[in-house]
Amino acid sequence: MKTPDRKKLIPSIIIQTIKIYPVILILIAFVVIFSSLYPEKFLTSLNLTTILRQFVTLMLFAVGPSIVVVTGSLDLSYVGIWMLGGILVWFLKPILGMYSILVIPVLGLATGFLNGIIHAKAKMPSFILTLSLLVIYSGLTATIAGGIPRTVKGYDFITADFIHGIPTAFLWTIPIIIVAIYIMKRTRIGIYLYSIGSNEEGARLAGINVDKYKILAFTISGLFSGIGSVIIFQHQGGSVPVVLNLNTVVYPLVAIVLGGTLLVGGSGGPHRTILGALTFTVLIRGLIISFLDPTMIQLIVGLLLIVSIVVGSRGVKGVTVT
Amino acid sequence: MVMAMNDSIMEIKGVSKTFDGIVHALDDVSIAINKNEIVGVVGENGAGKSTLMKILVGVYSPDNGEWYYRGKKIPFPKNPKEAVKRGISIVYQEKGVVPCLKVYQFLFLGHEDKYVRLSRLNINKMKKYARDILEEFHVKCNIENFMYELPLSTQKMVEIARAILGVRLEHEEDDITSVIILDEPTAPLTIEERRELFGEILDMKKNASFIFVSHIIPEVMEFTDRVHVLRDGKMIAHYDLSKEKVTEEDFFKAIVGKESVEYIYKQAEIKEFVSEETVLTVKNLTKRGCYYDISFDLHKGECIGIFGPTGSGKSEIINTIAGLMNFENGSLVVKGKEVKANEPPHVRLTRGIGYFSGETGKELFLNWPITKNISIVNIKKILRKFIPVLNFTAEKKMAERIVKQLRIKTPSVNAECYALSGGSKQKVSVGKWFERSPAILLLEDPTIGIDVGARDDIYETTLETKKKGISMILISDDPKEYSILCDKIMFIKHGRIQKVINNEKFKQEVTK
Amino acid sequence: MKRSEKIMVRRPLPSEWLRKNISTIGPVVAAIVIIGIFQMINPVFLKYQGIITLVYAMSYFLIAACGLTFVIMMGSFDFSVVSILKLSALICVLYVDRLGLLVIPLALLVSVGFGFINGILFAKLKVPSFMATLGVSIVVEGIGLYLSKGFLHIVTNETFKALTVTFIAGLPSIFYWAIGICLICTLIAIITPFGRRVYAIGGNPIGAVLSGINLDKYRIYVFILCSFLAGLAGVLYMSQLGGGSVELGADMSIPLFASVVAGGTALSGGVGGPHRTLLGVIIITWIQAGMLMLGYDRGMQMVVFGAIAVVMGIATIDRRGVKFVK
Repeated sequence: MKTPDRKKLIPSIIIQTIKIYPVILILIAFVVIFSSLYPEKFLTSLNLTTILRQFVTLMLFAVGPSIVVVTGSLDLSYVGIWMLGGILVWFLKPILGMYSILVIPVLGLATGFLNGIIHAKAKMPSFILTLSLLVIYSGLTATIAGGIPRTVKGYDFITADFIHGIPTAFLWTIPIIIVAIYIMKRTRIGIYLYSIGSNEEGARLAGINVDKYKILAFTISGLFSGIGSVIIFQHQGGSVPVVLNLNTVVYPLVAIVLGGTLLVGGSGGPHRTILGALTFTVLIRGLIISFLDPTMIQLIVGLLLIVSIVVGSRGVKGVTVT
Repeated sequence: MVMAMNDSIMEIKGVSKTFDGIVHALDDVSIAINKNEIVGVVGENGAGKSTLMKILVGVYSPDNGEWYYRGKKIPFPKNPKEAVKRGISIVYQEKGVVPCLKVYQFLFLGHEDKYVRLSRLNINKMKKYARDILEEFHVKCNIENFMYELPLSTQKMVEIARAILGVRLEHEEDDITSVIILDEPTAPLTIEERRELFGEILDMKKNASFIFVSHIIPEVMEFTDRVHVLRDGKMIAHYDLSKEKVTEEDFFKAIVGKESVEYIYKQAEIKEFVSEETVLTVKNLTKRGCYYDISFDLHKGECIGIFGPTGSGKSEIINTIAGLMNFENGSLVVKGKEVKANEPPHVRLTRGIGYFSGETGKELFLNWPITKNISIVNIKKILRKFIPVLNFTAEKKMAERIVKQLRIKTPSVNAECYALSGGSKQKVSVGKWFERSPAILLLEDPTIGIDVGARDDIYETTLETKKKGISMILISDDPKEYSILCDKIMFIKHGRIQKVINNEKFKQEVTK
Repeated sequence: MKRSEKIMVRRPLPSEWLRKNISTIGPVVAAIVIIGIFQMINPVFLKYQGIITLVYAMSYFLIAACGLTFVIMMGSFDFSVVSILKLSALICVLYVDRLGLLVIPLALLVSVGFGFINGILFAKLKVPSFMATLGVSIVVEGIGLYLSKGFLHIVTNETFKALTVTFIAGLPSIFYWAIGICLICTLIAIITPFGRRVYAIGGNPIGAVLSGINLDKYRIYVFILCSFLAGLAGVLYMSQLGGGSVELGADMSIPLFASVVAGGTALSGGVGGPHRTLLGVIIITWIQAGMLMLGYDRGMQMVVFGAIAVVMGIATIDRRGVKFVK
């Protein structure tokens, strides 16, 4: 086999990558625009650290639902797991001591399982089911907390400084993302989830127990949300809000869709969400730095969500989605 | 009935299956499969082909019957996985492919546990085996291709390879021979792709035996070694094509029943009401892969039948006229106005074209009562005089009229359609269209699932509607129906019109 | 082409009878039980003042819920109802001093505009209804925030306020608005061709196409209707409130949705209607009033409503027709 010319190989690899991940172009565009408009604010190390920190929060929320979206469903309960989990840590600390932090992943696992069972067996559409659960959880959070945000001390070690300049939460995020991508790309579970999203009937005919794997998808999603919530919990000083902020719910969705994961399922996944989350974080940071009215930011996010979904529903010509 | 030869792989005897204790889906059916052969199973829709296959692959359990494997009696498989362990696998007619997967991933779908250790897939091993299998069966594709990228015939080949692969992976013996059931494999394929597929299957014969389920007689005649004919759940004929000479007509008679071919219904009324006025002109209608250069005129009060095997394009032509498919070339003129190629059904309906699809699951609103199902296409008829609101009394009367006319078995017109039998559902569904009486009514399989006695009710209503000047185009699986209802019959094969004959000549052809 | 196999008539089993009628009997029973319980706990519950408070809570809510009912009947979902309600109310309070009663057509026009956008996104651009309305809801919230800039405003226009708080026969006029609109919606649903077709689309979209129904047209109309009613609810809400900030969180979508399914309109589409939603709204607002009376905070209320949404959602779904749920 002839060794291809090195010089020609690299550009073709780049073009191939862009064809598969067009959001990279958007990311680069944002970086270029904001760097040139506000160089003194955008290119500082403080800003880059902030971007990293916000990326972490966004990504940790988005990992779980990325997996569910591949099957064609939606999971919106991650914010609920985070809020209720966080307040339960405060509530149970006197009883369980340091072990109360484990409540969060356990809650995530249980919630995911519950979502999966109701969705698969009772056939309730996932978006309204997980939305209702989110509301239930946020209501419980407000009640348990008595309406006041509570802080829990004692878990600083989770996000204590490890490498200077890089938030430790980011270091935690890396293995979490790797595990998520591994599950989707290297295990049987991943193949089955893609199959269910791509052609549920065909998956069933091929002998896949669709109900079982749907339940599994939601359970894994809940678990990831739970583990991610632990990091975010401490990342934000050991407390959670007691009022539901819709943006916290919507931003990870934007990251997923922006990354190129189609809502109908069968393609995409956590590996794409990384790019989507990064691009979105850069955009938000850039907008905040600029002197745009904060309410305009909300508007832009809404429009971005709509545009990305429209594009995502129809696909872009020439782009291979995997 | 069928003699199993010495190298028989498997044999089932005396299989019967009833649903709900009433309907005999299968009645004392026996089949033997030998090594390296292709066995055809043919019959009308509803004859029991699909039930038989589902029993073979473990989706259903039979009420009676015995299964012999190499002469030894064993129980029927309880689920598809058990069936695969015995060497039987099925390639479904549609929806069997998962488009987002790569070829090597799809080949192993459902059987990964042979390549899994601690949840990790041994991808390299899978890829290597995939390459070997594709080469062995001459499948023209790369293991890294996505399934959606492949042409349909290649997809089918991959499905077949997957079926054989599944057997090899799951079997418990060393020298197992696969029996692969092909359920209407050519239905989604174009005419060109079918030749290709059959070439490859014939090639595969040395590795496996096939059961070829179909109602495309020419293909069955050309590619199978032996053929079983099912009718109404019974195995009524078996032909060994290597030993006997069988014609297409012989098959027809076996499938449809010799008696009904000689059945003649009221003839005189048919010719009377065809006027000279043309309501529909089809000119050179073409859609690549489906039909080519279709031209005909439909007159007021005329009924034209489109006759041909499945896949000949008849269904696609009717779907196109109905607005469910676009045509690429040619023109369609409805009542003097040329229509656009991509109009949705509701626009066609305003032009006067109504379409009965023959599939009650799609057509009916099952949780609605009969009244609402009939009125949904007849809303204009049940509006009150001065305010455009629904008149429930008129709605009920309309439904009662149709129930009476078609003799639909139901306790009341307010019964939910879920509760009706398949035949009654069909009658409600076709009845609503007769009530609507659009200028042009497209009927696809209007009497499917309705027993012979009840069909007369539908024929009567059809002929009455025809008298009123409604033009119709008919597609049916029952040749007798064409002779009863149609003035002209158009023969279609491979997407082209072969000939157009009038009713008299048709009867002569079919009774030959 | 697959064909159905021959099946004969089945006699209805007891579980089928229960399933068919639970969505009719259930809400009525629930309503009676709830009134009974709360009345026992606090005898003033059904006294005049209590009833008035309930009427105020129920009326604007019912109007918005009627709109959402049409969308759910059609088998879709509209998340933007609450946001549009808020925006409409905001427009009224911001501009009523300058424009007088003309704010009403303005607010309604804006609402209809967003409904149209919802419809286009869903019908023409094929965006799933939940996501489309979620996105629009974010945009609407953003516009609302931008316009109000977080300040409180008061309505001084007396005519505007009189729309809802004028007392007729002992009840505030907003009650008659609500009942009237619910009645009109029920009539639209049950005796008009429009309503019949909406049910058809919800019950079997493919069947609706084959029956010659223009899916895109009706989908857009229904979303416009829903947003129109949301806007109307907002106008009346601000009229009754008389000013102040609109204290409706985005999570209010759940009580709204809960009242629709609690009444018996199923998520799977094709069944139910505004008359059912009346019952559902009664149940939800009375539960809310009762919980307030018992001292439960807003958090617990949300828990209960969320639970009702899930339970009634599951109970009403017609699992026979559903093949794929996503």
